[in-house]
Amino acid sequence: MVTTALPERRRDRTAKIILYAILILGLLVVVGPFIWMALSSFKPEAEIRAAPPTWWPHTWTLTNYRDLFSRLDFPRYFTNSVIVAALVTAGNLMFCSLLGYALAKLDFPGRKALFRTVLAMLMVPGMVLFVPQFVLVSNLGLANSYAGLVLPFLAGPFGVFLMRQFLLSVPDDLLEAARVDGAGEWRIFWRIVLPLCRPALATLGILTFLSSWNNFLWPLVVATTADKYTLPVALALFSVGQNRTDYGLLLAGAVVVVLPVLIVFLLLQRHFMRGIATTGLK
Amino acid sequence: MRKRRTVAIVAVAAALTLTAGCGRDAGSGQEQAKAVDAGKATGDITVWAMGTEGEKLAAFAKDFTAENPDAKVNVTAVPWDAAHQKIASAIAAKQTPDVSMIGTTWQGEFAKTGALDPTPPDLIDSAAFFPGAWATTQVNGTSFGVPWYVETRALYYRTDIAAKAGVTSPPKTWEELTAMTKAMQAKGGAKWGIYLQPGKTGSWQTVLPFAWSNGASIADDKGYTFDSPQMTEALQYYQSFFTQKVSPTDLPNGQLEPDFGKGAIGAFISGPWEAGLVDEQGAKGKYAVAPLPTKQSSTSFIGGSNVAVFKDAKNRDGAWKFIQWLSKPDVQVKWYQTVTDLPAVQSAWQDPALTSDPILTTFGEQLKTAKAPPSFPTWEQVAASLDTEVEKVVNGKETPAAAVKTVQSQAQSIGTGA
Amino acid sequence: MATVAVRAPAKSAAGTPPRARRRKWTGWAFAAPFVLLFLVFSALPVLASLVMSVTDLRSTDLRHPLAVNFTGLDNYIRLFSDELFLRSALNTVVFVVVGVPLTMVIALAAANGLNSGLIRFRALFRVGFYLPVVTSIVAVAVVWRFLLDPEVGLVDNLLRLIGVDGPNWLADTSTAMPSLIVMTAWRNFGTMMVIFLAALQSIPADLYEAATLDGAGRWQQFRNVTLPLLRPTLLFGAVYTGIGYLQVFEEPFVMTQGGPLSSTLSVSYHIYNQFGFGNYGYASAASYVLFVAIVALSVLQFRLLRERD
Repeated sequence: MVTTALPERRRDRTAKIILYAILILGLLVVVGPFIWMALSSFKPEAEIRAAPPTWWPHTWTLTNYRDLFSRLDFPRYFTNSVIVAALVTAGNLMFCSLLGYALAKLDFPGRKALFRTVLAMLMVPGMVLFVPQFVLVSNLGLANSYAGLVLPFLAGPFGVFLMRQFLLSVPDDLLEAARVDGAGEWRIFWRIVLPLCRPALATLGILTFLSSWNNFLWPLVVATTADKYTLPVALALFSVGQNRTDYGLLLAGAVVVVLPVLIVFLLLQRHFMRGIATTGLK
Repeated sequence: MRKRRTVAIVAVAAALTLTAGCGRDAGSGQEQAKAVDAGKATGDITVWAMGTEGEKLAAFAKDFTAENPDAKVNVTAVPWDAAHQKIASAIAAKQTPDVSMIGTTWQGEFAKTGALDPTPPDLIDSAAFFPGAWATTQVNGTSFGVPWYVETRALYYRTDIAAKAGVTSPPKTWEELTAMTKAMQAKGGAKWGIYLQPGKTGSWQTVLPFAWSNGASIADDKGYTFDSPQMTEALQYYQSFFTQKVSPTDLPNGQLEPDFGKGAIGAFISGPWEAGLVDEQGAKGKYAVAPLPTKQSSTSFIGGSNVAVFKDAKNRDGAWKFIQWLSKPDVQVKWYQTVTDLPAVQSAWQDPALTSDPILTTFGEQLKTAKAPPSFPTWEQVAASLDTEVEKVVNGKETPAAAVKTVQSQAQSIGTGA
Repeated sequence: MATVAVRAPAKSAAGTPPRARRRKWTGWAFAAPFVLLFLVFSALPVLASLVMSVTDLRSTDLRHPLAVNFTGLDNYIRLFSDELFLRSALNTVVFVVVGVPLTMVIALAAANGLNSGLIRFRALFRVGFYLPVVTSIVAVAVVWRFLLDPEVGLVDNLLRLIGVDGPNWLADTSTAMPSLIVMTAWRNFGTMMVIFLAALQSIPADLYEAATLDGAGRWQQFRNVTLPLLRPTLLFGAVYTGIGYLQVFEEPFVMTQGGPLSSTLSVSYHIYNQFGFGNYGYASAASYVLFVAIVALSVLQFRLLRERD
């Protein structure tokens, strides 16, 4: 390790201070609304609607949370959300990395066309597919079922795109060496490539989980009886009325809905810390 | 290249078969309502209800089950947010329940899909309901549902600020309204005399009452009739509040109730749910609700929700019997006591639960003459166009006369969706 | 590590060795699960809606979707004389041209800052910067509307301290859009930051060590080591953010409802309204125009940030 000369260290320190300052300021700006959301979930409805908005609650109340858990069959909706989000995330991680790897590292006829088609799918505005997808799912007999809630989202073009871009930077020599050693393609994928992708998989996992967890419109329409509702749908039941919005419930619900996502985020971010172990190849 | 030719032939054949079934037919005439057999309801009845109604209906329906022991009511609560989308998708995929709540402005559109069952005439007496409410169920002369609960708009005003400004009785005419709101600003200490929605989504529900009160109409059997001197005059009157700085053009969302509570806003026009909201913000006991001021008449907007039965219903008879039960005056009163939804049946208003509250009495009176827009499937789009022009007018970017002409031509090109 | 000298079998008459041939079809084997689901649940609905866009299908036709008139390119032609659509297109273009670079720069700066090794409590910052992405848009809207309020809002109060009379940000047609752009960049940079961070993590540390040995400063290292290696991820970020921003909907929907005077109406919002009115055929046509725009933008970005394949 080369030791740095003293002047270098001082430059480092000023850089550090400036960086910290900017980041902390940025953090406050960014975290502000979230904190407001969390604090306001403990306020009574009138205070939430007060203009200008208050930060620290003048009156603390648990009514919003009590209402949330008593009016909602919380365990059921929570479980539904967990099942659906977990299945969609697992499916995406598996299928997208398989395809992403194939597109990045395996040569096969039609590869370019396939990539372009998947990419094109990413660019189709979602709204336009909604009604045809629902009619299709219903005709397949999948309405009001977990399959109906999950299947349309398992083939996510975003995941393919993300994995392919990451996998492009896996050194070819690594794979060739393994092939020369006699390893089959599946073995190479499972044993060598996937472990290298931890950061990418963690990223895809978080983003897919988040989007599936917050999905509102599809579960609303596919679930024809309330027992298949997911959490966002159930929350909307009680927080939005024909002529008024129940902000207290909405905010309490928003806090509750966010927590699992944050937990998933915190768990998966440890994987970001790991670097890649390929440096030895040079 | 035989393979390619085969593919081409198959593709063309498929396209032809698809298009063979295409094209609209001339359209059938009026639908005939089928009768429902007498006797008690039986079987499962699936019901979709939104919001608070969805929450409370299941328990409330136990009274129905007590009277009809062989029937079971299954209520699925549906969020108001995107309920329209859910119903439309269910219709498309033929996954509808037996009964659903239908917003009054959706009635025309869903009736046009052919998915709704016409109301059996001998089962329900249309005269029992407020005429404006019943009109919302009618499409081309046939009724496709039954009003369940209603709402209308009236004038909320701060009595203390009015008193300070020298006004001791509610304004009865348009001139008096202008005078009172101006005085509230000049002498009453209010920043704004009145809050009127300055365009944007839903402002038509505040603007049209002025138009109707001035004798204007939206459509007749030949088409739209926006372009009239009465409509222009009403819009000019609406605009005057903004040009004379009596009403704000840019009040932030959610600011109305706190400002009314503080006395910064002297008056506003809205529905019964605002009473609870402004009470929470400190206005309790300091305001009153008056009927809309008269020009040629005092005509407000009637909204609320209807209930309808689907053609694809599995239990049509049970469904209609359930709706008939919901329309009984005593059930309507009990429903009011459960969720404070205003009854759509006129005789329910004789009940002491409703006659004891002066605010409710005002709304009850206003309901008698309140009107709804035509139940055209395209109404929402026309209303949006009206909202856009109103926004331009209140901001001084367009004259009322030009706006009215624009709305008329846009409405005509959008059509009535018949 | 001894390399095993395995000779591939002699080339067959077809020209490719069996192992290489197998690898060809392994690609499809790997692709199969995705492709199957994709064909059924994505490709089919896309075709259906494409057909929808050349008819006059309305929501009132949903029970008999085939009983509609084939209208050819009528919907598409009508779009270009629709004043609201053209306005929304202009708004959206401005939004993307300004918003995408802004978001990427902030995300890259944040990711780089967090990765620089100078900072402890990295996890705290990471979670913090990601919070706007997971915060309910309703909460975001309340707080931002408060921040931008002309009387009691923080922004205008700060400006007043330095003697500037700030505008009514959300109600003024010239400041509403810029305000939304800043808010959207604020809301979405977390996603890109997370992705850039993962990519930065995978750059081997010895490359930086080598550069330091060569005497390169921090900025030079960023330009010559980081940026080139980040190219595929930057391309991904640009394309993904571009696609997302071309479809911007939530922010104008909740904050300004497309106003004032349609100055913040986006194409997606306009399409949403049209679907809401039941004009399914017309709205589908507008969606495909949007699709073409998205493809065009992405192709442009691929050209500019082209990876060395």
